[in-house]
Amino acid sequence: MSGFSFNLLKITDPSRFRLGQLIFSRNKQEKILDTPNCFVYTMRGSVPHLTPDNLQIIPVDSLGITLEHFLEAQPPTSTHFMGGIHKFLNLEDYLLFFDVRDSSKLLHISFNTDKYVSVVTNQGCRKVTVEEYVRYMNIYNPDIFASISDLITDKNPSLKRVKKSVDRTLNWLDETLEQIKEGIHVFGVVTGHDKHEERVRSAQETANRNVAGFVLNGFDLDVTSKERLDLMKISLKHLPKNKPRVAYGLGAPEYVLLGIFEGIDIFDASYPSEQTSLGHALTFLLLENGIQNEQEKFIDLWDNKYRTDFRPILNGCKCYACQNHTRAYIFHLLVAHEMLATVLLMSHNLFHYLQFFKDIRKSINNNTFTNNAMQFIRASNITDEIDIKPNFNYRNY
Amino acid sequence: MKSALTWEIIAKCSTTKARVGKLILPHGPVDTPVFMPVGTQGTLKGITPKQLEELGCQIMLNNTYHLGLRPGQELLEQIGGSHNFQNWSRNLLTDSGGFQMVSLLKLAKITEQGVEFQSPHDNESTMLLTPEHSMSLQNSIGADIIMQLDDVVSSLTTGKRVEEAMYRSIRWLDRCINAHRKPDSQNLFAIIQGGLDINLRKKCIEEMILRDTPGYAIGGLSGGEEKDIFWRIVTLCTDLLPKNKPIYCMGIGYTEDLVVCSALGVDMYDCVFPTRTARFGNALTPKGSLNLKSVKFSKDFQPIEKDCDCVACKSYTRSYIHLQATKETVGCHLITLHNVAYQLRLMRNIRQAIIEGRFPSFVKQTFKDLFGSEEKYPVWAINALKSVNIDLLS
Ligand SMILES: [Zn+2]
Ligand SMILES: [Zn+2]
Repeated sequence: MSGFSFNLLKITDPSRFRLGQLIFSRNKQEKILDTPNCFVYTMRGSVPHLTPDNLQIIPVDSLGITLEHFLEAQPPTSTHFMGGIHKFLNLEDYLLFFDVRDSSKLLHISFNTDKYVSVVTNQGCRKVTVEEYVRYMNIYNPDIFASISDLITDKNPSLKRVKKSVDRTLNWLDETLEQIKEGIHVFGVVTGHDKHEERVRSAQETANRNVAGFVLNGFDLDVTSKERLDLMKISLKHLPKNKPRVAYGLGAPEYVLLGIFEGIDIFDASYPSEQTSLGHALTFLLLENGIQNEQEKFIDLWDNKYRTDFRPILNGCKCYACQNHTRAYIFHLLVAHEMLATVLLMSHNLFHYLQFFKDIRKSINNNTFTNNAMQFIRASNITDEIDIKPNFNYRNY
Repeated sequence: MKSALTWEIIAKCSTTKARVGKLILPHGPVDTPVFMPVGTQGTLKGITPKQLEELGCQIMLNNTYHLGLRPGQELLEQIGGSHNFQNWSRNLLTDSGGFQMVSLLKLAKITEQGVEFQSPHDNESTMLLTPEHSMSLQNSIGADIIMQLDDVVSSLTTGKRVEEAMYRSIRWLDRCINAHRKPDSQNLFAIIQGGLDINLRKKCIEEMILRDTPGYAIGGLSGGEEKDIFWRIVTLCTDLLPKNKPIYCMGIGYTEDLVVCSALGVDMYDCVFPTRTARFGNALTPKGSLNLKSVKFSKDFQPIEKDCDCVACKSYTRSYIHLQATKETVGCHLITLHNVAYQLRLMRNIRQAIIEGRFPSFVKQTFKDLFGSEEKYPVWAINALKSVNIDLLS
């Protein structure tokens, strides 16, 4: 595998949002992941509720795969399959990004040591060493993976604990870069928890190494999305511009927009899956020069008012669910505890979430992003919580 | 009575009573013998109508009792029936609702008026399902084939009650025919009752033939009776029922049952088994069922079934489906897709074998694949097939 690069097509200053292209090869063909974008969330290597035929009709380019989901058996049975992880998961046309732990639910577990990290499976806790992780990656051959990191799951860690976490994560990154086969690309994980100086150190040291990109994992921080973003900002300042940045924990649309303002390129897409499990159908839109107040971000299809609503979830949506089914039918499926409910909701929510990113890219390209995104954020109930002006100098843009 | 279907026999087996037919219903053709998957609440367990269509399914079942409760008759009227509600453009069949009540609701009481049962809403007031009410509901649902309300007794019941149920079912058929609002677009099937009593069955058939319904169902079986008695009742019915009407045997879905009943001249089947068993991780194959939850499949890198062209078999190994089975909904959907594909393929193979004049050897091969050695062949199947000139043991 060759031909991996990240090209920045547009970068703004003093705001830091960017338009880019992650170029990779799949099946001897060059493919492009346009950024800002997201790695679609999977459970055990499948998008929740969607069989491959249903996934195929959604314009997905890349998926995030979690090793933790395969670790009930150790080594995972999939490492005995010799055709690579793309083939094993029937995802040969997609960019696959691996990480050790599930970005959507970082369960508190027993401690990590200098040698291994602990992960959670359906059958209890498992330990993974760097050697094991890199060996699995060498067998799997994903396009990209995040190096193993010492995530802190206890609350209010001491400075000493955070320092140790940064040191361990950097040591493990060095080991990983030594052992990994050529052609598999490593993203370094930037840590430092809630300690300002450690975040700076982690960012600078990671940037000094030969990584293809960066991961900012906000899930180990037991804080609000806003505080999470503030901590990420500290790290982002010390990362080079020419490499892609992935952030976990900023899934809601307003936080995606805020993250993009800070220069995040790729998000974890657990948000559409979480909304699906609540019976929610996403309806938010990044409107072009529109007034966005009072916008309904989602509709709750458990609500009895949809019982006789024979409209699609969202007028004009081109997804399978909206082209074929009504709110009333999905309401019925939810109330009747029928599994087709989540199939249709996931089809719509994922399609819609990807469309949102498409609209964002279009808007950056048209130089209307600052205005459109600010309107969206203002209309969100986080406006009070966030002091947007000092950070986003959109007037000069 | 009026009929909204045409039925043409395309091929007959020269050894057995098996036949291949083309049934034309208001929502398109159905090749028989046919297996109809059960989509109880207006959906087939996690499968989209598009997927079901791509599998080649031409007719699906909905349950009247469930749709009557949810989304309810009024809403179904409003949207123009169950086809529209679930966006299914092919054929539907609905049951009368009576069987579901007797089996789901413990305190159901049957009187000449109808089936009296405790309201599932409040468990206090009693409700009544009459033949007229069943027809009204089924007319609102709008399925292409609808079933009469019959007086259901367990196949293990004996004595006077069986006779009473049989005669009452005839009277209720008359009330259903009178109450049926849409004979131009919905085909009402009569249900033969009479328990395990040959004379009662004969009498019932005699009377129901006089009503000249578009098709007939064999009811009151699959309730735990001896299989050796079951097949004798089935073959009696196919002998006596008119040869120019489709015959539906309710609640049949195992491979050996489908093959034997087709040899006895049955044309239509339904069963929840293939989709229900999928939820427990069981995948059907010609060599029997595989429990994909079992660790023995964890490193098995073949597809569920080598020659199956379903999404599960084209996309994944048993090893991967093992990871998903019973843990993620995708695992369930994949096995459901495969099991429906398996059932539809089995029926296609039965039809093809009849058309090509090799049905007897097909039956023998199916049993060989499924049971391995002859000692494991069920005795009832050996007897049933012997009655139509197939000697499984030769
Ligand atoms: Zn949609
Ligand atoms: Zn299959």
